[in-house]
Amino acid sequence: MLARTFLKIFIFVLVVVGIYAYVGQLVPQFEEHPPKTRTITAETDRDELSDIGQELLRGKGGCLICHKDSETGNTRGPDLRQSAATAASRKPGLDAEAYLLESLREPGAFLVPGYPNMMPSALKPPANLTPAEIKAVVAYLQVLGGAESTAVVTVEDVEQSKRVAKGDHRGRTLMDQHGCTACHKVEDEGGEIAPDLTGAGARFEPDAILRKLNDPAAWTTPNFEEGLMPSFAEAPPGDLHEIVAYLSGLAGKSYNPTGAASPWSHEGVRLGLVIFIANGLMLVALAWARRRERREAAQ
Amino acid sequence: MSARWPERPATPTARALSQTYKGVLKVSLLLVATYVVAQALSGFLPAAGYRDLLGLSNRTAVWIVAELHLMFAAFVLGVPIFALITEVVGVATKDRRYDDLAREFTKLLAMAYTLTAVLGCTLLVLFVVLYPKFTAYMHGLFKPTWALYLTLIFAEVIFAYLYWYTWDHLQGARKRWHIALGVMVNLWGTALLFIADAWVTFMMSPAGIDEAGNLTSLWAAVANLTWMPINIHRLLANVAFGGAIAAAYAAFRFLAARDDAERARFDWMGYVGSFIAIGAFIPLPFAGYWLGREIYQFSEQMGVSMMGGGFSWLWILQAMLIGSLFFAANVYLWLGMGRIPGAERYTKFQVPMMLILTLGFLVWATPRSIIATGSEMVAMGGSHHPFLGLFGVMAAKNTAVNVMILTTFFSFMLYRRGNRVAVVPWAAAGKAVQALAIAAAAVVVVGYGVYSYYVPSIVRIGYSVYQVTAVLAAMVVFVAIDIPLLKGAREIGPIAWGRIPARAQYALVFLAVTFTWLMGLMGYIRSGIRQHWHVYGRVADESANAYTMTHGDATLIVSGIVVAFFLLVAAVFFMAMREERKA
Ligand code: HEC
Ligand code: HEC
Repeated sequence: MLARTFLKIFIFVLVVVGIYAYVGQLVPQFEEHPPKTRTITAETDRDELSDIGQELLRGKGGCLICHKDSETGNTRGPDLRQSAATAASRKPGLDAEAYLLESLREPGAFLVPGYPNMMPSALKPPANLTPAEIKAVVAYLQVLGGAESTAVVTVEDVEQSKRVAKGDHRGRTLMDQHGCTACHKVEDEGGEIAPDLTGAGARFEPDAILRKLNDPAAWTTPNFEEGLMPSFAEAPPGDLHEIVAYLSGLAGKSYNPTGAASPWSHEGVRLGLVIFIANGLMLVALAWARRRERREAAQ
Repeated sequence: MSARWPERPATPTARALSQTYKGVLKVSLLLVATYVVAQALSGFLPAAGYRDLLGLSNRTAVWIVAELHLMFAAFVLGVPIFALITEVVGVATKDRRYDDLAREFTKLLAMAYTLTAVLGCTLLVLFVVLYPKFTAYMHGLFKPTWALYLTLIFAEVIFAYLYWYTWDHLQGARKRWHIALGVMVNLWGTALLFIADAWVTFMMSPAGIDEAGNLTSLWAAVANLTWMPINIHRLLANVAFGGAIAAAYAAFRFLAARDDAERARFDWMGYVGSFIAIGAFIPLPFAGYWLGREIYQFSEQMGVSMMGGGFSWLWILQAMLIGSLFFAANVYLWLGMGRIPGAERYTKFQVPMMLILTLGFLVWATPRSIIATGSEMVAMGGSHHPFLGLFGVMAAKNTAVNVMILTTFFSFMLYRRGNRVAVVPWAAAGKAVQALAIAAAAVVVVGYGVYSYYVPSIVRIGYSVYQVTAVLAAMVVFVAIDIPLLKGAREIGPIAWGRIPARAQYALVFLAVTFTWLMGLMGYIRSGIRQHWHVYGRVADESANAYTMTHGDATLIVSGIVVAFFLLVAAVFFMAMREERKA
């Protein structure tokens, strides 16, 4: 009886779930892929720049969630075809390029009448466009408005973009935290008493750098004082991996730290401590209960 | 060692403690094993940022295990709340059945905890093995919360086992100690939930880190914008979920029952389970709106891509599921009135209520802005349908869901007075005021709904608050009058528990399946709207599986998870029943 009822209910469950799964197949099906990156340099020509701009606007920038740049699309923000055409006369003192640049960098600086201040700056996440990419989008918008594009990517834009795209590597920050930069120089910043580490990734394999950090006596760089570099064997292994990843990255090598901690690192100790205390408490409670039990039995 | 203790003639305290210690030992061993396996694997495997699981995509593997873990966690957090409520009701009403009901479900906890823990540990190993780099980053940020989480797990296990093993001993005058244990279980459980939510919501709406991703304030990272709304949303959903699963279990036992006494018992149990489930379900949409608002607050773009972008179609599925839930709940109540002598007085309301529910459902399922193809837009003359588009906006949906909630509430109240006739002298006036309260709420809800088309959206958003307040106020007024109204009421006849058609039991199973599927779907949306980000806007997912899959594939995975969950729950129930036989 139990088995039969169970079977009946299970079939019912399958039917209901099946219907829901089927409805899931009826809605439109599409995949959304993460945006691709194309590199922009000061030499990128005008046509290619506006091409890249179009791709960014439709992809990485996520602009079409609110705008449209063709007949169909969303109307939370203005129709970008019109925006591009009227850009030159929107704000006194700003020509088309300057106005468009401003409306991407600081959307709140000028609000198109009738629209709320809801657009995030294109420099900020989630769009996260670089200064060069913003120029590309502006180039595309100008073309969209039927004009020649005037936006030009400068060398400074490219340099700035590189810095923005890279951000500060976590390994770089960790090198400050662990004091490496007090002695070492890296990317032109840091102390003088130890070798410049900018090229360390090229000179050594990641494993070798790790070994040096855990055991500074492993080798000594010629012409530098022996025994000065402290051991980092006690530092969280995840941090060391991250630093090694950063140094290797400077040499164009990719090294993905696993972040795995050694069994004796803090996590293991903490886990052991919690387990130990919980078990200890229970054992004490048990011993107390059994003593009381025995005393009651004796009475 | 511990296996020897219970065989001796031990005092109840010693017995309960030694059983509890077995649970603690089990969790300890499991954690140590997890730690050793995770360490061994990450030491043995070559360094990488991402790994796949034997051909299965890392994302899908983690998704399935995480969702199953979450469902069991919802169950083991929901059941103690559910049990505590019924236990307290049992004490207050001196009705022994409530205590038995609470006991029946608490019995399942030990087994369910083990499964939850095994799933959680598997998940942890998968994180470390499949997402080593990102896991290390998250672990670094939230280090102190991990230690707290571990401690709370032990506290939760200790109190939950004590709660169960002292049930028979702490009765009568000692009952309040037992209830205190129940409160402790729920306190720790809620704290656990809140900590896990901090990790999850940080990934949605990061805070407390600087531009380079370094921690600046742990508290800011924990108390990010979506943390509280998710906490409340999940807490309510867990109670509803626990109730729904309990009701489904009762339905199963009812259908497999051998005699009338058993049928009566499980019929009643199914009713109480569904009552608690629906009671917790009614405020859920409000918590959902709050969460949605915070998401918009955090990132307009995230909000828009959730409601109007690629994920918008999934809300149509959500509307279908919620509509089905309301239908099933009402149908169950109406079928249940068949066993209440005197309830036939109210059958005349059923058809109009059905119509209202259908209308509300249709409005709710009308999409506003979804990605339409070019030819579809030409056919509609724009991106919104000229007439139906009116029902797509949130104002119409708020109105619809409020009307549906009001209707379901009304069904419940009719059910409650099924076999009773008020005898107080002011009965007629009381009923008139009640009818007026419902009518007034309906007028306010629909009135503001219509009027909101004529005002700007900023003003309109405020109206949903009036609508919700009107519905809640009507409920309060209704119940406040109902209690004295039915005091000492004349009973037409006793409720014939057990005399309910099998269809009603299938409605309960339907409720549980739909609720579980809904949870799976909403979980996917919540996690999926981060798209190709681990931490939205901050840490990108650079693995090959960072794309958003088609809705068809996603719903298939959700369906698979739901079936797997029910099979696992069935296993827990079977094992509990086997022990019941043995005892
Ligand atoms: C969340 C919705 C949203 C997103 C995403 C968004 N915008 Fe906007 N955008 C608006 C709104 C609303 C306005 C009008 C208010 C204002 O001027 O800020 C606007 C204004 C503009 C304007 C000025 C229009 C005019 O007519 O003067 C331009 C240009 C623009 N957006 C381009 C972009 C680009 C390029 C992107 C992608 C990087 C983008 N927007 C992303 C909502 C959005
Ligand atoms: C107190 C100063 C000091 C600190 C702090 C320090 N180092 Fe060093 N390090 C040295 C000196 C001096 C040498 C050269 C002598 C030697 O090889 O021991 C050196 C050598 C090295 C080398 C070998 C370089 C080569 O070209 O052969 C590496 C790699 C290195 N350090 C990495 C680090 C890292 C990474 C950190 C931070 C986690 C760090 N060091 C912290 C002083 C320091």
